[in-house]
Amino acid sequence: MGLLELSRLTVHYGKALALENLDLEVREGELVAVLGSNGAGKTTLLKAISRALPSRGAMRFDGVDIGDVPMHQVVARGICHCPEGRRLFPELTVLKNLQLGAYLRDDRAEIAADLERVYALFGVLRERARQQASTLSGGEQQMVAIGRALMGRPRLLLLDEPSVGIAHRLKMQIFDSIRAIQQSGTAVLLVEQDARSALGIADRVYVMEHGHIVRAGTSAEIAADDSVRQAYLGV
Amino acid sequence: MLDIIIYGAVISAVYALLAVGFTLIFGVARILNLAHGAFYALGAYCVYTLTANLHVPLVIAAVIAVLLVALFGIAMERVLVRPLRRLPPLAVLMMTLAVGLMVEQILLLIFGSEARNVPSLVESSFNFGGVLLSGQRLLAFFCSVAILGGLWLFMQHTRLGAAILAVSQDPEGARYMGIPSDRIFSIVMGLSAAIAAAAGVLVAPFQSVIPGMGLLPLVKAFAIVIVGGLGSIPGSIVGALLLGYTETIVAFKASIEWSQIVSVAAVLIVLIIRPAGFFGKRAAF
Repeated sequence: MGLLELSRLTVHYGKALALENLDLEVREGELVAVLGSNGAGKTTLLKAISRALPSRGAMRFDGVDIGDVPMHQVVARGICHCPEGRRLFPELTVLKNLQLGAYLRDDRAEIAADLERVYALFGVLRERARQQASTLSGGEQQMVAIGRALMGRPRLLLLDEPSVGIAHRLKMQIFDSIRAIQQSGTAVLLVEQDARSALGIADRVYVMEHGHIVRAGTSAEIAADDSVRQAYLGV
Repeated sequence: MLDIIIYGAVISAVYALLAVGFTLIFGVARILNLAHGAFYALGAYCVYTLTANLHVPLVIAAVIAVLLVALFGIAMERVLVRPLRRLPPLAVLMMTLAVGLMVEQILLLIFGSEARNVPSLVESSFNFGGVLLSGQRLLAFFCSVAILGGLWLFMQHTRLGAAILAVSQDPEGARYMGIPSDRIFSIVMGLSAAIAAAAGVLVAPFQSVIPGMGLLPLVKAFAIVIVGGLGSIPGSIVGALLLGYTETIVAFKASIEWSQIVSVAAVLIVLIIRPAGFFGKRAAF
């Protein structure tokens, strides 16, 4: 059984249809990537899952229907969303930002342990802990955003374009850490425009166009698909 | 000179108390709360009723008054403001104006227009190098500073305080952390109301307690917050010091009447030279 199961998920923006009858599954501990060009509906998909947007259709997490629960309860159930544009709290310190990721948790000792895990993953954040988040570079801010989402101790981590606007070296480091997050047992649903990097780390891949899923398969299958290669890999 | 320093400190502290709550609810929920002066008046009238009619000891009456007004603020946010949140911001503004006027009219109906007296907690006066200061003013000063300090500790060192700052800096980002923004709005409205009520309670013994007493503090809070920058807590404290001392200087060197024009002039000058206020990130209007 999948950890997250979406069936016939449909989202409207006013009258415009953003997602239509979308089926998607993420299994326990799996790293799933969603590829697609700008405006394909990738961000909308993640927002529907974290209940930032209303949707129709069935949405089950760990076997339980989450289609009606409010946003903060989705976080409490173990879906943490690292949103598009990072959305850090710019005037708070890096440490405060990370601590706020654990806002709904009461297990102090475990929160401290998770903070150590985030520092182990992104060593630079320990040095920057007392700095205001806005003083960090784009790549470092992305690390704070991912770390903050991890502080909610997710069973499923939603990542929205973590590589956007980041220097190449840091980008590689971020993709490596996404891999490490998965290997520690957290399922990841990664939305990405950088198809090459995403294919390199994902177990399975969905390709979206105009609010629909047009291809699905393992990374190897998708990487071998000629139309995908032309559209997203430029080869 | 010493008299200006001492009286300026008292008035600045009370102004800071008024302005901090006003700027807090704007910064967090983007509500320009024209009922803020009503919280202040309600605080004073609650203490008056509790002590004069129900014979509750003054200290206990003060605490009850602050709590009651906090509940009033929370109820106002939940029942009257929240349903309007999806409408243009003007709807919320008009609602807060309506609440402010309604409170004033209800106080007028119940208590009439004549001034009521609230006894001082500290009856004796103190002499500071020749400047005589009433005990109640001294108490108002120390309580204001203590409340502001407590607020600072709360914001810096509690999870709820951090969540409030988070909502004010990025409401959407806060929602992704599972911070329920609606509940935060209610809490902040309650907090803002409690602080304004505390100001009303503290000054009631040396101000005339009349139904319209909330108007001038609202204007002052508004002016301070425009000078300091809407939504900025440090800005509102600096603004309160600037305005409090300027008014005191004008009152001592010219006359009390002239001191009332200071806040209006300050707003005018700041809006012309720096519309975002001294500590504001962006112009609020």
